[in-house]
Amino acid sequence: MTSPVLTARCVHKSYRLGKTEIPVLRGVDLEVQSGEIVALLGASGAGKSTLLHVLGLLDPPSEGEILYDGRSVHGLSIRERARLRHDHTGFVFQFYHLIPELTALQNVLLAGMMTDSVLRYWSRRQEAKKAATALLERVGLGDRLKHRPAELSGGERQRVAIARALLAEPRVILADEPTGNLDSNTAEGVIELMFELQRERDAAFVLVTHDEGLAVRANRIIRLRDGVVVG
Amino acid sequence: MIPAFSPFLALRYLLRRPIMLIGVFGVTFAVWSLLVVDGIFTGFVTEIRADVRRSTPDVLVTDLPHDTSYERLRAVIAADPAVRATAPRLRHQGILQPRPAPRGSSSPTIGTNAVNFEDMTMDSGFALLLGVDPLREPEVTPLGEWLDRSVEVLHAHSITRARRSEVLEDPDPDRRSFLLTADHVEWDMRRIFDLPRPERVEDHRSEWPGMIAGWRRLTSLKLIEQGYPIDLMTASFDVAGDGSAQVNTRRIPMAFGGYFATSHRMFDQSMVLVPIETLRTLLGHDIEDDEAIDIVTDVAVAMQPGLSAGELSAAKSRIRTAVASEIGDECAVIDWREQNSVFLRAIAQEHSMMQFVLFVVMIVAAFVIYATLHMMVVQKWKDIGILAAIGGTRRGIGAVFVFCGLVVGSVGATIGSVLGWLSVHYLNDINDWFHRTTGASLFPRHLFDLPVIPVHLELSWVIQVALGAVLLALLVALLPARKAARMEPVAALSYE
Ligand SMILES: Nc1ncnc2c1ncn2[C@@H]1O[C@H](COP(=O)(O)OP(=O)(O)OP(=O)(O)O)[C@@H](O)[C@H]1O
Ligand SMILES: [Mg+2]
Repeated sequence: MTSPVLTARCVHKSYRLGKTEIPVLRGVDLEVQSGEIVALLGASGAGKSTLLHVLGLLDPPSEGEILYDGRSVHGLSIRERARLRHDHTGFVFQFYHLIPELTALQNVLLAGMMTDSVLRYWSRRQEAKKAATALLERVGLGDRLKHRPAELSGGERQRVAIARALLAEPRVILADEPTGNLDSNTAEGVIELMFELQRERDAAFVLVTHDEGLAVRANRIIRLRDGVVVG
Repeated sequence: MIPAFSPFLALRYLLRRPIMLIGVFGVTFAVWSLLVVDGIFTGFVTEIRADVRRSTPDVLVTDLPHDTSYERLRAVIAADPAVRATAPRLRHQGILQPRPAPRGSSSPTIGTNAVNFEDMTMDSGFALLLGVDPLREPEVTPLGEWLDRSVEVLHAHSITRARRSEVLEDPDPDRRSFLLTADHVEWDMRRIFDLPRPERVEDHRSEWPGMIAGWRRLTSLKLIEQGYPIDLMTASFDVAGDGSAQVNTRRIPMAFGGYFATSHRMFDQSMVLVPIETLRTLLGHDIEDDEAIDIVTDVAVAMQPGLSAGELSAAKSRIRTAVASEIGDECAVIDWREQNSVFLRAIAQEHSMMQFVLFVVMIVAAFVIYATLHMMVVQKWKDIGILAAIGGTRRGIGAVFVFCGLVVGSVGATIGSVLGWLSVHYLNDINDWFHRTTGASLFPRHLFDLPVIPVHLELSWVIQVALGAVLLALLVALLPARKAARMEPVAALSYE
């Protein structure tokens, strides 16, 4: 059997506030297989976002290790980690996190400029633009390319964020309550789209949500309680 | 390697932030003012140095004992291979008094209001007399150029009647050495002033030695007409038979021979050139007297062209030794810079003071860039987290802000350089235009002798200033960039 795209081994994470240590994750073990949809449930403050950040290499674990495709990312340089973050994972956040100065198209394009030098990017800028446009068309925003985030609805913004997360064709999409800020109709559309895209690309999908109804549509449900995985 | 997103995002940030224009404007202004002010100042300094140089011989042998004879020194000094020519100098003080114009005649003087220089108040007749040998002096100082210049200067001050002095053009060396005016000119003056003269002009030979005054003496002399009679008075101490000091005043009729201008203000204000023989006579060394010697206070020396600084200083010490052994006493041998060292040093000091002030302007501009970039980093804290989440390296994130500083600095430096260059280049046109439209003058004319404002701006200096500005902008951008590069992605993402 091939190794899981994403593995967490005995991950601990605690925050230090003054003199007291606040443990948030207390030994999380998790494996995500390629093409799998995992729903991550848990009460508010259970550490879902924290786990997602650790999985996405945005935050180092206090203890334990993260493996991508069975290889430990421990001991990688900052640069290699940034590279891996770019190639391997795509983030979608609850609050979209688009850059307000950039148009929808530029926001997506930006994700393609992370690893190329100026010259390298310049030589392939036409393809990059084509790819970004195609992705935006795929998420139904073909007529919103030139709009800035402020000129887009919440749902549209999240679609842009999804397109951005998918541009580098990551193996894992990490989504932190992607519909948490949307009304139910819009949320349904966005979720449908994400599932479709996930199937198309055969990417793994870790979805943090509060919505049990949404969670049941996943292949697997993981519950976080008191910093450990239960059930 | 700098990732592509850094310049891309930097440009988008800048374009959406009009506030960054303040930084651009600051750099533009700093570079512009540095170039313009320095261009004008350097122009003036260059001009002033040239003026000082023009008024000063290459080397002056001075601090000589009383009653030093020129003939002895001349042979000694001229023997040095680095020396091209020498000329005697005799310094003294005197009082000039133009003859009052006879009543009823149309006065050949000019009215006071024709000359309006509020900064020239030398109204006493007191003058520093510089006795020169008109036959030798042109060898060591550009006398002809001084005369040409006086005409330009006076014309620039709207005194159109001024003519170039003719006293140095007399073909007869004997007449020239006394700076005599033409026979008919003196005869004419004698007629106007009703002074003794032959019946017919053809029978007259000029007798009044001429003097050439620094043009700034125009305000007190109010003379334009060459040949105008002037009395020169000198006083000196003589030792009486019983050993007591005796004041000896002498007075001699002379003729006004025209003006010179070196444009070295102090020189043009105080100096009057007179024939050295006339001055010697006044001081009791009459040329007719067999015991009289050709006394000098200084010897002006022209050096061979193209001497290096080392060769010049070697020549100076050779001359000093040679002169000292000849006269059996110490003397000073000083080059043109040393002759004006206090003045030149003051100018150099002011120049560096001014550059320092302008540098402070640059620092302020740099601080503006720093402040706006720092503000931008704080505003964009969340973006920085986003960049990290989509794979931006620390270096790439820092580079965004370095690029911002670089662009602001470069744009400002470019505009400032171009504006500065144009302002300096067209300064005189701008000044003229300003004068025509508003009546006020940016650079008051009466401060200068010449009709144009001297400016001097070297391309290498422009490039230096522009590069300096860019470098400074880059430097101050590094701090906010470092702050941005050091953020924790998660903290940045959850930043409210
Ligand atoms: N930077 C931090 N410093 C200290 N404590 C923190 C920090 N970030 C998170 N925590 C704490 O860690 C715990 C888990 O936070 P986290 O954001 O992961 O919860 P969550 O499960 O995502 O909750 P929600 O469903 O409300 O988003 C919380 O109790 C929070 O107070
Ligand atoms: Mg959360």
